[in-house]
This record gives sequence, C-alpha cells and structure tokens, in this order.
Amino acid sequence: MSGLEDISSELVGFKDEKDLDGELDGHPEVDYAGDPFRYVFYRDRKEWADLEPVPQDDGPNPVVKIAYSEKFTDVYDYFRALLKNDERSDRAFALTAEAIELNAANYTVWHYRRVLLQALEKDLREEMNYITAIIEEQPKNYQVWHHRRMVVEWLNDPSEELEFIADILSQDAKNYHAWQHRQWVIQEYKQWDDELEFVETLLEEDVRNNSAWNQRHFVISHTTGYSSPAILDREVQYCLTQIRKAPHNESAWNYLKGILQDRGLSSHPGLLDQVLELKETHCSPYLLAFLVDSYEDALENSNQRETLSKALEICQLLAQEKDTIRQEYWLFVGRSLESKYGSSASGEPLADGPEPASAPASGQQEMS
Amino acid sequence: MAEEESQLEEFEQIDFLRDRHVRFFQRSLQVLPERYSSLETTRLTIVFFALSGLDVLDALDVIDKNNMIEWIYSLQVLPTEDQSNLSRCGFRGSSHIGLPYSSKGPGISHPYDSGHIAMTYTGLASLLILGDDLGRVDKRACLVGLKALQLDDGSFYAVPEGSENDMRFIYCAACICYMLDDWSGMDTQKAIEYIRGSMSYDNGIGQGAGLESHGGSTFCAIASLRLMGRLEETMSQRELDRMRRWCIMRQQNGFHGRPNKPVDTCYSFWVGATLELLDVFQYTNYEKNKNYILSTQDRLVGGFAKWPDSHPDPLHAYFGLCGLSLLGEPSLRKVHPALNVTQRAFQHLQQLQQTWREKAGSCT
Repeated sequence: MSGLEDISSELVGFKDEKDLDGELDGHPEVDYAGDPFRYVFYRDRKEWADLEPVPQDDGPNPVVKIAYSEKFTDVYDYFRALLKNDERSDRAFALTAEAIELNAANYTVWHYRRVLLQALEKDLREEMNYITAIIEEQPKNYQVWHHRRMVVEWLNDPSEELEFIADILSQDAKNYHAWQHRQWVIQEYKQWDDELEFVETLLEEDVRNNSAWNQRHFVISHTTGYSSPAILDREVQYCLTQIRKAPHNESAWNYLKGILQDRGLSSHPGLLDQVLELKETHCSPYLLAFLVDSYEDALENSNQRETLSKALEICQLLAQEKDTIRQEYWLFVGRSLESKYGSSASGEPLADGPEPASAPASGQQEMS
Repeated sequence: MAEEESQLEEFEQIDFLRDRHVRFFQRSLQVLPERYSSLETTRLTIVFFALSGLDVLDALDVIDKNNMIEWIYSLQVLPTEDQSNLSRCGFRGSSHIGLPYSSKGPGISHPYDSGHIAMTYTGLASLLILGDDLGRVDKRACLVGLKALQLDDGSFYAVPEGSENDMRFIYCAACICYMLDDWSGMDTQKAIEYIRGSMSYDNGIGQGAGLESHGGSTFCAIASLRLMGRLEETMSQRELDRMRRWCIMRQQNGFHGRPNKPVDTCYSFWVGATLELLDVFQYTNYEKNKNYILSTQDRLVGGFAKWPDSHPDPLHAYFGLCGLSLLGEPSLRKVHPALNVTQRAFQHLQQLQQTWREKAGSCT
C-alpha cells in the first residue's frame, strides 16, 4: 500500500502525442489551415512567451532518470517556471490540469492548484466535478483523495460524498483510500444514520469483505456501542448467522472475537456450546482458534485441568490437521498454555503483564 | 550462490536468480521509461529500494558510490542564509521543482521547496548504505523540519504544505530520529498514543483510529515502537500475543495484508518482519512462503512482482528479497527487521553513532 503499489503491476497508460511544431493564430490547439487539433508546445505559444521555462537539473550523474517525452518535458518546464514565480493566474490554473493529467501523483502540482483555487476564487463545485472524474480514473492515488477532502472542507459540504464513495466501492469494495475517506466524512459531518444499512448491503454482496466488517465495528462503536446486552447479543447472533452461511470466513470470526474478548470470551452465556455445536458441521481453523482462546480465557479465571486438556487437544488438532501451515505456531501455543497452566506451573495463575520470554522452541529449521 | 531445487515441480521453476536481480536493480538506477512518470516525486525511494536491494544481494560494488552520494546530497533542502525555511528542511524526492543542481549549501530560497518525510528517511538510509558518514547532513535542520510535520494526534504529514497523515509517516519519523540518534525530532509519547489508538478490534493495527487493520501499518507501528525502544512497555503481553496471532494468520502460502485479500510478495516482509520483531517468525511455514516469493520472480527481467506472471517493480523486487532474507536464504545478507537496512548497514550506523557520542563527550 505504499505509494509505489499504485504503479506496481499496472502500467501507466502511454499517451498518444501529436507532436507538431509551429505557431498558430488564435487558439493554440486549433489550426484552421489543416488538422483542427494539433497540439502546440507551451514554448511555442505566444501567450507564454514572457515566461522562461525551467528545466529539471539532476547534475552530471542523474539517478533513476525518467525519460520524458517532449510534450511532458514542455508542460513541466513551464510548471516549474510558474512555481518559481509563484504566479497566480488563470493560465497557471489551466496548466495544472495538464500537469495533473501527465502525473496525478505530483503532490506539488496539487498543492499549487489549491493555492490557485483560493487565490483566484475558483468555483469549488466545478472542482468537485473535476476531482470526481480524476478519482474515478485513478482511485488508488493518495493525492487525489487528499485534494477531494480539502475541497469538501472548504465547501463544508459532504452531501455528495457517501454516494460518490459508494460508487468507487462498487468498483473495488476494499479500496482502503475510499474507506478512509468515508470514515472521515462520517465522523467529521456526523453522517452515521444510514451507514449500518450500507455495511449490511455490502456484507450481503460479499460476506468476506473484511473492510465492511471493519466498518460495521466503526459504526456501532461510535453510535450505540457494545455495552448493552441487546446490542451485543444482536451482533453475536449476526456473526453466527454469517458463519453458518460461510464457515470459512476469518472476518466474521475476528469480529466475533473482537467484540467479546475484552469482556472475556467465556463470559457470554451459551456461546461456547453454540460454537462446539458449529464445530461439527461448520468447522474452520478460525472456529478452532476461537475455542482455544475461549478455553484460555476460562483458564485465566479458573485453572482447571480439564479446560487445559481441551485447549491442548484443539491446538494439536490445528497443528496436525486443521491449520497445518501454522503447525509450529499451534505447537508453540500449546507449549505456552502448558507452561502457564499445566501441572508443572506454579499454583497461582500468572498476572497479565510482562513475563519472562517463553523457552526457545523447536521452531523453524534453517533453509537447506 | 543460486539454489537449485531440482526435486520440486517440473512446471514451476523456483530457483533464485541472483544475477538477474542485480541487473534489475542496476537498470532501475539508470533510465526508466515515461510510463514510470508517476514515480517522479518519489525517485529517492526507488534509489533506496535499488541500493538496499543490492546491499542485500551483496552487490553494491556494481555502482559508483561517490556519484550516488553526491546526487543524494543534491536533494537535501538546506537552510537558507536567513534560516527562514528551517521548518521545511529535509530531503526532496527528486529535482522536480527545478532548482539548479547543488550538493552543498546554503539553501536557495524557493516558495515551494520543502522536504518530504519519506525522502528524508530513504535519503538518510541510502547514504548509510553507501557508507557515507552523514557529515553533510544538516541534522538540526532535518529534525526541525521533522518536528514541524507532527500533528496534535501524534501522526505526521509528509510535507509542511500538508498532505494525508497516517502510520507510514510515523515510521519514517522514527527511522529518521533513530538514524540521527536524536528523538527531539518527534514527540514520541504522542506518536505512541496514535499507535495505540490505531489498534483494531481484531488485534491488528490500521493506518489510523477506526481503520481496517493492515500488514503495512502493523509493521510501521511495531517497527516504530521497537526503534523507540518502547515495544514492551506500550503493549501488554496479552496484546502482544493477540497481535502475534493476527500477524501469523496472514500467511496463506505467501502473506496477504488483510484478511480475505489475495497474497502479495511484499507482505512477506511487512508481516514477516513484524513476526520477527515479535519473536514468532520462527513458527511460520518457511517452505510455502519461500515458494510463493519465488513464484513471483521474473525469470527474464529479474526482480519480483506482487503476484506470479505480473510485472516486477523495484518495491516488490526489494521486499521479495527481504522476505527471502528473513527466511535465511544463504546468498542474502540479513536485514534489520525494524530499520529495514542490512545488518551490515546497521553496524555502520552504530559505529557512526559511537563516533558522534565520543565527539559530543569530548566537548563537555
């Protein structure tokens, strides 16, 4: 998710150029004598003759040098010239759009555009339309989302946001930028009312959408909270229903554990039995891990040998059969439980807090 | 030397092509085609991936270190004569602003010239990898510039003009302070509060409060705490155990960054290094992880991609190597899991800092 993942596998489209020299009268893009849409470099436009282009200077031994086309270089040489003079003009504003089209990740261009938006008192509604289109084209770019947030803040108008973000999410339901912007809008402008419904729609479309589960927690924790038994039970039931539909779903189990773990997994009445029942027909590594954690919670309250042996049995099951990729880990967990609660351990359960590091385990063999 | 795994599947070759990766990074350091234009403002991070990658491959001898050092120093935003731009100092990602090339001060006044937190981090790291002594770094200016980026909630902007703020930049800040051996550049207490506030209900860590837990932000948080020396005091044993569980569940064969998402080579480092920092990387499945990383190797061009049969790029090439290094690949240097440089570069840093302390001591 670093800035570079924006480009990782996706090739940036290579833009077609109409490279033609020559000065033209009137509109620079129009040549009445022939081809109506010849592109004219800024260096050849009369209205820009007052400005001295500023080239990039990487010195005698440039590193990671990007081979720009003539058009690209021309646009950015003029951008640098405007920047140096801190020019505040409509021609500068227009140029930023071209610079953005060539490289929407250039945060300096975006900042300069914002300076111009304010200095020239540009129509921010138009800017919203503009940024909407750009984000639709490049939804994984950091700068465009930041720019949108700034414009929304200036307008103090979030009214388009939830619908816009929903559209972006309809194309990629896990886009982190989109969810981040959505949470900002909701929290900043107190738009909580319809969000749980939105989350449920997404979960109906894909019950494994971890972003949607996260949003569920976000909404509830900031509205009703989880303290009321009615809410907590509703959520527990919701999880179990989703688990019955799609048992192999880490997100649902993480949510279930997440809302209960601080109260103690073994504290919710009847849950352990329900999970043990599910184990027969809807088993998964996540269910079994939940059981281990439930038994551990029970052991913290009351160290019973039977509880420990159940926990160890599940660890063995996970290690040998149900979650073998984590075999070493589950064996480690078993050893830790044994060490903490087993007959060789001291009579008093250990308090939560820093404890001596567990004994080095068999762990991993070095690669041959 | 390259490993031959002849007893494995016929169809999928998974031998490690060291020399190809050396050439891949060499090429990255030269000229890139225009389709990489979106990387302009972050070119210094590409330099870091290539240099650190070559370091992990023990192949730094293929580059001209002095030329590279000069170019990196040309990216430093130095204080102007009147010091009015101190809070904008640091390193640039590239020459895109258009200042004339200069690898020494004083700084030139320009209305839009300022450092970028990730470039200051990767600039300093790259200099260290090249064996530089940071003698031409204006440390005080970097730290003032860094401090100016921190927000009330403890997170950081990337640039003084403003930007998004999240866990990535806390990590950059922690690395900068760690390398400069000076924590005056950030309010660590506030940063720690932001980190704690970003812990998710599922025991991973998101980019910020309420946000979905993610392998990248989890690495940034844990590595930052480790660099600050505050990991064990910030998290209880129970919290650490829960985090270990969240991280170790990310392994599918390789690793993914979030539950129910596809795996991606770079998470073999982000999550792998976090697991190493939490002392449980040893309990992961090395074989499956290694096989996945190697399946994303580009056998023709070198480097690694996020997925098999996809285009490689410097980021995934670097983190693919780091992932293999964590696994103990014999031909690769060990990587410091918190600072994300080789142990060799790390030792160079330690020696440097020793020298600084001795000098400081002898002045009193």
